[in-house]
Amino acid sequence: MKVTWNFGSFLSARSVAGDTIIELAKKYPNVWAITADQGGALKQYKKDFPERYIDVGIAEQNLAGIAAGLALEGNIPFIFGMIPFMTMRACEQNRTAICYQDLPVRFIGTGGGLTSGAGSTHNAMEDIGIMKSLVNMTVLSIGDPNMVRDIMLLSMTYPHPLYLRLAQGKQDRMLYEPGKYEFKIGMGLTARDGKDATIFAHGEMVFEALEAADTLVKDGIKVRVIDMYSIKPVDKDLVIKAVKETGNVLVLEDHLTDCGLASVIADVFADAGVYPKKFKRLGIPQVYAGFGSGEELRKKYGYDKTAAASAVKQMLE
Amino acid sequence: MADPKEVKRLQTLAYEMRKKLITLCGHYEGIVHIGGDLSVTDLLIGLYHYGMKVDPKNIKAPTRDRFILSKGHAAVSMYIAMTLRGYFDFDEIMRTYGRLGSAFGEHPCKIQLPGVECSTGSLGQGLAIAVGLAFSARVKKETHRVFCMMGDGETCEGEVWEAANTAGSYKLGNLVGIVDRNKQLMTSFDGDYINLEPYADRWRAFNWNVIELDGHDMNSIVDAIDKIPPITNPKPTVLIAQTTKGRGVSYMEHQINWHAGSLSKEDTEKALADIEANYAKLGGGK
Repeated sequence: MKVTWNFGSFLSARSVAGDTIIELAKKYPNVWAITADQGGALKQYKKDFPERYIDVGIAEQNLAGIAAGLALEGNIPFIFGMIPFMTMRACEQNRTAICYQDLPVRFIGTGGGLTSGAGSTHNAMEDIGIMKSLVNMTVLSIGDPNMVRDIMLLSMTYPHPLYLRLAQGKQDRMLYEPGKYEFKIGMGLTARDGKDATIFAHGEMVFEALEAADTLVKDGIKVRVIDMYSIKPVDKDLVIKAVKETGNVLVLEDHLTDCGLASVIADVFADAGVYPKKFKRLGIPQVYAGFGSGEELRKKYGYDKTAAASAVKQMLE
Repeated sequence: MADPKEVKRLQTLAYEMRKKLITLCGHYEGIVHIGGDLSVTDLLIGLYHYGMKVDPKNIKAPTRDRFILSKGHAAVSMYIAMTLRGYFDFDEIMRTYGRLGSAFGEHPCKIQLPGVECSTGSLGQGLAIAVGLAFSARVKKETHRVFCMMGDGETCEGEVWEAANTAGSYKLGNLVGIVDRNKQLMTSFDGDYINLEPYADRWRAFNWNVIELDGHDMNSIVDAIDKIPPITNPKPTVLIAQTTKGRGVSYMEHQINWHAGSLSKEDTEKALADIEANYAKLGGGK
């Protein structure tokens, strides 16, 4: 699919993942796409590669086990599914069948945070906390849809389990011109430089952070925005540098505030003994958020661009 | 009909294996899952010494049959069946089992112990992994089989039936399940609380080919293995083996308190005497 790149315009991350898995399967005979009745992105793939497509029906635990079995035989299985079921229903299988044996299974999960629109059963507020606690698991959260392709490509030489958290996956903001940036596991990306404060964000909250930064320019405030797409492992040097250079740190994420990126960043500076002047976390509080669009819920729970801009201003007062 | 000489050879191996199990259990100060170890002893000898194509000198051979011990707590049985086949050294197991740094632990770990196909121990997870191995073999056009041994108790887990559904739907004829149908869970008998019957019909309903056998009669085990259809069969196969937890040691059979335990000197002597007597009844390998 040929798409014209414009900053902030929409593209579906799910369809990028669907196109990329075909590209990979053509090149690598050990690539599989498997799903528990959530193969919306795989319509073309399953026609092109019916032998290397498995749909087990609604049975995520079994799917995780099958992924482990495929990987034990030298295959690279990509699990496609909705985050809450992939990360919670199959949590023990992810840990014991996949992570314990350190197998190169890829999890492509959609519906990060409160973007599902389907209510608390389908919201994904805990997934980063759960997945990052599994030994050997790598956790990435991606907002820019074109980045999904880059990460899937680089995953072919990555020997460990890898979780890719996407937002809803249907309408995702393009942030980075394809081919202009290099993404690496364990790295963050400075999407905007600034000296007054840093906003760390991941997934689709990076766009909100950039918009908040735009608003603050009018007040003469220069905010550094860091896309922390690699949550585990995390780019510690980038965190320490931002703490030292900008003093004020805000973490903005579509996840519970007490077990996501904010906790990771706080761990990094606390362990290093390098403290920010002020530290603030915005995200999902301890609540089952209920119905509404991602945008509406972000506003309701105080972690949208407006809330982010106010939080930065308050820190600078 | 099973070759009588082959049956005698396997009976002797099972006798050797039971002696080793009891010796280890008597020697090790911690607990061993001796009840379930003894219920799968004859089946594991049947598989490792007759039914499966394996080569202890080439543990990575792509043509080997794969084996997953879903009931991972019977690890010691698998170690010893494999030891008798030439994989491991029994003295090392005696010396190190369950101790710091040992490759031989209470549940099998493939990272610690090459030769083990898959780390297991959390019940109900083995069959789904075996389904993954079977899919891979089919697409790579490999001709080996994938065997997965389960305890009947762990088939209370939903994941087992999710995996059974996938294997039946995708017609994985290269997959063979073996159920140790000892009719005991850890703390109750089948039927006390949970009812597993009609057991074979459950598998048939998931489109599996069912072979029923006596899991302690080597003739029956060999016959059942011989009846496994070729991998092109449009159904996976399950061997449902009627067994007894603690089989071969009179004071352990049909007892809830011998799911796992350790043996005193007296217990050990009595168990070894039972094993000798049972072997003599079979003709002592002659």
